[in-house]
Amino acid sequence: MKPTISGSRGIIKWGVALTILGLAALAAIYVLALVYTPLEVRQGAAQKIFYVHVPAAWSAMIAFSLVGLVSILYLWLRDERLDAFAASSAEVGLVFSVIMLTTGPIWGKPIWGTWWTWDARLTLTLILFLLFLGYMTLRSAIHDPAERARFSAVVGIMGMVLVPFIHLSVYLFRTLHPQPIILKASAPSLPPEMLRTLLLGFLAATTVYLGFVVLRYGLARHAMAEFDEEN
Amino acid sequence: MPENTSYMIAAYVVAAVVYLVYGGSLLTRGLRALRRDR
Amino acid sequence: MNSWLRVAAAVAGKDIVIEVRTKTAILSAVVFAALVLIIFNFARDASLVSTAVLAPSVLWITFAFAGMITLNRGFNLEKENAALEGLLLAPVPRSAIYVGKLISNLAFVGMVEAVALPLFVLFFNVPVWGILPGLLGLIVLATVGFVAVGTVFSAMTVRTRFSELMLPMLLLPFMVPPLIGAVQTTTRLLAGRPLSEMIGWLRILALYDVVFITLCVLIFPAVVDE
Repeated sequence: MKPTISGSRGIIKWGVALTILGLAALAAIYVLALVYTPLEVRQGAAQKIFYVHVPAAWSAMIAFSLVGLVSILYLWLRDERLDAFAASSAEVGLVFSVIMLTTGPIWGKPIWGTWWTWDARLTLTLILFLLFLGYMTLRSAIHDPAERARFSAVVGIMGMVLVPFIHLSVYLFRTLHPQPIILKASAPSLPPEMLRTLLLGFLAATTVYLGFVVLRYGLARHAMAEFDEEN
Repeated sequence: MPENTSYMIAAYVVAAVVYLVYGGSLLTRGLRALRRDR
Repeated sequence: MNSWLRVAAAVAGKDIVIEVRTKTAILSAVVFAALVLIIFNFARDASLVSTAVLAPSVLWITFAFAGMITLNRGFNLEKENAALEGLLLAPVPRSAIYVGKLISNLAFVGMVEAVALPLFVLFFNVPVWGILPGLLGLIVLATVGFVAVGTVFSAMTVRTRFSELMLPMLLLPFMVPPLIGAVQTTTRLLAGRPLSEMIGWLRILALYDVVFITLCVLIFPAVVDE
């Protein structure tokens, strides 16, 4: 089915609406986290980075999983729109993983005393970032659209299969080399205000993800449709 | 103010900048695309 | 089944024969491995960092990078000869082509490792005789893992402009589980630790190999076919 300009306009409109909604929700979370949520006694103000970092991680994981799943669909159905969606999700995922990779160490320095630690979370963040980056770089190096779509799908699927092995390896490493400081990023008993802010943070981050990915996908479809009309 | 407030501010600012820059560029391109075909 | 084996053997054999004749990939990888080992040896301060701590990492960094150099060359030969294109025109099972490529790549990387390992033993004065069977088994297990993935990726990256850069970039995340497992196990082997301390890593390595060889066999057609 050929992408049409009018079809893509509809998608872009949805994307714009969701993005604005998502960014507004994010701003609300900022206010909520900074002003209304109580200060954590032991960790201090830096603990509040939690409300930005963890939802971004959640969105990065959604983005990544969708790249993998849609890649499988693409190899099965060979619909170029699926490839456009996977690429959009990868780009958005890259953005979220940049946020994770920056806020993570900024959070770690005051809490753990070190910018970086090879714990499960940060290591996985780095791997995700490298996978997204590799995916995008590969795409930019291939000019034939069908080949680009196929190769991207291969990388997307293989990346998805890799993640459990990263988990396993880091877990085994950690059980043999326990952290000197116990990491309690999400305390087992979060006070209700903190839990609420975190959950709302997830909602905001998911909305932002949807907004970004739908808008990016709409732009991709629009470009595809324009290209078709010119030829 | 607790002494690690500067870290909190730094993280919040960095994240906000990334969201706004990326979101802003998408929105600009989206609105431009919508306007162009009218 | 017979013809499948024949195809795989033919693909593997052709590559190995070409490489044995030209020796380009093997030579550059061996030189690279020797250089890495020499530099590491002079770079460290023996009083600060003991051999036992450093040696496993050095060995596997050497294997990993020499492996990547070798993988790059493996498919570059195809590009020059366009032989693969011809092979693909025939209704040959793609899994046989993949396994043939995998075998030849394993042979190449294996040859490099066979030269690098003695050099490593020599330069780092590492006592390997007692643990040689275990070490060799480990080397096979870990190498199969990243060469399996590397064979698929090099088939893709050879068609891109900066293939020497693209392959490491794509492959590196996939080398993390095999390399972590390999280094951890090598450390324990050199320290004479009991098998029970290594079995966890060996299981992860074995699982990785099984899962990724299966996945690569299934996914390789998507790389070479339209």
